[in-house]
Amino acid sequence: MDSGNDEALDIIITNVVATFRTRCHLNLRTIALEGINVIYKPEDGKVLMKLRKPKITASIWSSGKIICTGATSEDQAKVGARRLARCLQKLGFKVRFSAFKVVNVLAVCSMPFAIHLIDFTKNNRPIASYEPELHPAVTYRIKHLRATCQIFSTGSLTITAVQENAVKRRTQNCHFRNNVGKNTKNS
Amino acid sequence: CVVLFFTSDRVIDVGSEWRTFSNEKALKDPSRVGDAQNPLLNGGDLTTMISKGTGAASFDEFGNSKYQNRRTMSSSDRAMLNAFKEISTMADRINLPRNIIDRTNNLFKQVYEQKSLKGRANDAIASACLYIACRQEGVPRTFKEICAVSRISKKEIGRCFKLILKALETSVDLITTGDFMSRFCSNLGLPKQVQMAATFIARKAVELDLVPGRSPISVAAAAIYMASQASAEKKTQKEIGDIAGVADVTIRQSYRLIYPRAAELFPPDFKFDTPVDKLPQL
Repeated sequence: MDSGNDEALDIIITNVVATFRTRCHLNLRTIALEGINVIYKPEDGKVLMKLRKPKITASIWSSGKIICTGATSEDQAKVGARRLARCLQKLGFKVRFSAFKVVNVLAVCSMPFAIHLIDFTKNNRPIASYEPELHPAVTYRIKHLRATCQIFSTGSLTITAVQENAVKRRTQNCHFRNNVGKNTKNS
Repeated sequence: CVVLFFTSDRVIDVGSEWRTFSNEKALKDPSRVGDAQNPLLNGGDLTTMISKGTGAASFDEFGNSKYQNRRTMSSSDRAMLNAFKEISTMADRINLPRNIIDRTNNLFKQVYEQKSLKGRANDAIASACLYIACRQEGVPRTFKEICAVSRISKKEIGRCFKLILKALETSVDLITTGDFMSRFCSNLGLPKQVQMAATFIARKAVELDLVPGRSPISVAAAAIYMASQASAEKKTQKEIGDIAGVADVTIRQSYRLIYPRAAELFPPDFKFDTPVDKLPQL
């Protein structure tokens, strides 16, 4: 298996989702009225606060639980979360930054070749699942890394996992398997 | 009849107590006690119930029946019986044969006993079981077709489908374009020649990988369109889209992909009513 190609493959992390708690009750109305860059959604019971840098959108619940999405790396997610907590602190709440946890990391990667989905599924029977009526991609789940990969026929992959390095390892795995199932236009 | 076992040398005749002949009125068969259906699926109860009377004496003065008691006899399996009834109704709407219905019932029973999908609506699980049974029997129905006979949305059926496959640890074969050809073509009223041509076109198109990433249903619909347009029985994209459950823009997209190589896609012995270069170009 040509591992020489791995260096040329860029895995771009597009989204990191993290949660943390402020350990105090938050008054959503106050945040909605006095905060900047906020959207109040009373029917869902949450406030969306968007930070400019790092570019993060946070859903804030009144219980004090906050979900941050849109970061491009785990460190950025942490910085963004802390910045958000600082914002809330300035609004007057007694915020204690706790239980920060990265929940999901999404990365995209593009193979330089197209992939024959039907042959690929046949070769990787129980792990890969392909339902063309439901979704145009093959979902490939690796249990021990707890990662899911969606493989499109154009050769693009999207990988979701809980940690960054799992995502990276995942791509290398996938590349080997794809070499078996790949379809070059000439053949 | 009560069967008694004695530890003696006497042999008990367990045959029927009276003789019945098959020619006689089949309405009353005195050797039958209890319902015949499905002891395997229902946990095997031989219970009977008192039916509502038919004579004049069974109704009191207001017209209500005197014996109203119809307590459920198998409360543990009531949900399952309801589901079986629902499955039977759904299957009946699309004229599915008995073997598929039996397979669906078996799948439902397995899923129900496992209890891993307990929170989901029984109708959703029943619809998903029906979909899986059709697939396993080699005659897959599209999700949209199952949707048409069920009250559950396609999204929910799809979700339950994936959950059931995980719960039962089975997998199903991939759908191919040929699985749907005979059904779609006969619904459209196309002759056998056109159907065979469409099947050939679709298969060839997938082999040559002209349509990567397209759903087999869309490819099948486009192939039917091409075959019908080349023959005497021309069907519009709208008609085909209606039958296949595909949008006509989707057929147009897939058709655009296979049109450039139309000449190689047709079977060699096909009689063209409209030659290949006169095929519509969309």
